[in-house]
Amino acid sequence: MPQVSDVETLSASPSLRAPMLELSEIQATVLRQRPTPYYGSHVALRIDDPRAGREFIRRLTPHIDSAADWWEQATPWLSVAISYAGLEALEVPQSTLQSFPEAFRVGMAARARELRDDGVNDPKNWEPLFTDGQFHVGVSGFSGSEERWRQVMAVARQQYEGLPGVSALTVEDFAVHDGRNSLGYKDGIDQPPVEGSGVDPLPGQGRPIKAGEFILGYPGEAGVPLPMPQPDVFGRNGAFVGFRKYQSRVGAFNRFLHANGATEEERELVAAKLVGRWRSGAPLVLAPDHDDPALGADPKRNNDFVYVGDTHGRQAPFGCHIRRMNPRDTELTRLTDVNIHRLIRRGTTFGKPYDPDDLSEAADEIERGAIFLFISAKAMATMEFLQQEWIDDGDFIGANGERDPIVGRQEPDATFTIPKEPVRRRLRGIETFNVLRGGEYFFMPSLSALTWLGNLDG
Amino acid sequence: MESQTQARPDQDSTAEQKLQKLRDLFADAPQIAKTALGNMAQVLAAHLSEPRSRMESAGRAGSRQGQVSELTLILPFAPGGDRRMRALLQAQNGSFEAADKVGTLHDMRFVFVDETKLIFATAYDGDWDAYIDDFATKIPDFMDLAFSAFEGWPGIQNTTAVKDWIADHQYTAEGWYVASPNLTVPQTKRLEKVGEAVDEFLDKIG
Repeated sequence: MPQVSDVETLSASPSLRAPMLELSEIQATVLRQRPTPYYGSHVALRIDDPRAGREFIRRLTPHIDSAADWWEQATPWLSVAISYAGLEALEVPQSTLQSFPEAFRVGMAARARELRDDGVNDPKNWEPLFTDGQFHVGVSGFSGSEERWRQVMAVARQQYEGLPGVSALTVEDFAVHDGRNSLGYKDGIDQPPVEGSGVDPLPGQGRPIKAGEFILGYPGEAGVPLPMPQPDVFGRNGAFVGFRKYQSRVGAFNRFLHANGATEEERELVAAKLVGRWRSGAPLVLAPDHDDPALGADPKRNNDFVYVGDTHGRQAPFGCHIRRMNPRDTELTRLTDVNIHRLIRRGTTFGKPYDPDDLSEAADEIERGAIFLFISAKAMATMEFLQQEWIDDGDFIGANGERDPIVGRQEPDATFTIPKEPVRRRLRGIETFNVLRGGEYFFMPSLSALTWLGNLDG
Repeated sequence: MESQTQARPDQDSTAEQKLQKLRDLFADAPQIAKTALGNMAQVLAAHLSEPRSRMESAGRAGSRQGQVSELTLILPFAPGGDRRMRALLQAQNGSFEAADKVGTLHDMRFVFVDETKLIFATAYDGDWDAYIDDFATKIPDFMDLAFSAFEGWPGIQNTTAVKDWIADHQYTAEGWYVASPNLTVPQTKRLEKVGEAVDEFLDKIG
């Protein structure tokens, strides 16, 4: 097994078992987690000429990193994913196009009803990149150092610059030194463990989930592989990606904390109740009354909990963000298999860092927020389920009529309930703190699939 | 089936336009129907101009009012399926533990039209396919036991084919009424508990 050189940046450690997955085929981003600090870019590209597009894919493929040794984070890595419009622009065969699920084919904006992307999150308010049908290919680079980030993005650029028929539309850079998101929380802590990936789950991650839930070509939790784009060589070892860009309304968030907390200590408790973790990452179930930064910083301990001792939600409210996104052993009102509604998240924070003194409405408009890559073998279905059931509703967990306080789209006069003895505390006037700026579905093919794609010319 | 239906209610025309359309369609109706329409014109116009709630799509198929959706399937029996289905239902005698567990089902009815087909109808919370994947991992045997009585059931493991199979046999309701469109099954259960608790409290202090 490989030597672990930098344990501090690792959130998982290699197990003694050999991986069952074809790691050298799977793109690194599917399994490799963000380091801390992290730097990177998301590049959006348009293909105007299919031959040039395939040449670009051919040139780029040798630079796309596989998930072999994914637990090593020493090097920067590149990933590539293609939207349905991109597959059309690359002129892949009709039979391949038709083998994709409907939600992928029509694209994220057209699924707004199923995703509950309405009100401020309605596609009519999105950035043009996400609605004009030109976001064909997404290339993302991740790195633990600024220097290597610049190097790896230069490598990516060399593959499309000067190639007529391929143009970069936007480049979104991100650089985060302390692992905190735009609302000031340590994020990206709880990831679903993928069976056969060669790494033991961290304490609290639960049992490994069948790889087929996340990567195409392997059995899922129901015992069979999910339907796969065709031909096999194109679908196998690939994954779907839901790409979502959010603007954080930091002013509104801070004003809500001030309206509900007179002192910094009170405000931090409210902030912790909204998420289920203190800003340090320490979970409320393990640190109910006071923050514990050492706990928050320790990947072996900061996720090691269940809700069996908190059946009334007095530590972590039922409606808090992390209890919604992974209810673990919480008794739900509906027959639910928690393990089939998980997504691998690659969240990247951009813009001005969080400032607790940003209270103005103008602060809501300062460019900052997060771009997420939500990865799974059925990302479209899972995202629709999450938006309908776990984010923009609360019935499933007994948070009746309330929505996710962090990523939910709030109605006027919305509330957030904190269960408490002797009576609950209900916070009024919660607003939409993260507004959707746009999104699209992508397919993240295996390395062999990229080779197949690049060589379609024959 | 899904392709035949989806004639969504006309939500853009005015009450007067809707009423006129009805008058046109009733022109060749029996006199008793025309008289009734004439008598009801004012009441109808008022209802049509301010609907109490609206019917919308439940997703891939079916209609939805508020939180509650409807699903109606007309299912052809596999050979011997009618006898197996009848025996299963009689053995359960109205007790559906799996349905209790599901937690989204307001009701279910199984109507034997004849020995060739059955009508299955249910009112449920939320969108069309939200929990079908969960059935495949949580109650696979219950699903296969019940639905293998019908022609073409692909087996619950194959959830994509199962969804297509359901959609192929589903007929969307043109009319869909729900008395409490905002009450889901968990909310109804909660209100029952709250009601009991209030009574208990009143009993204690009374």
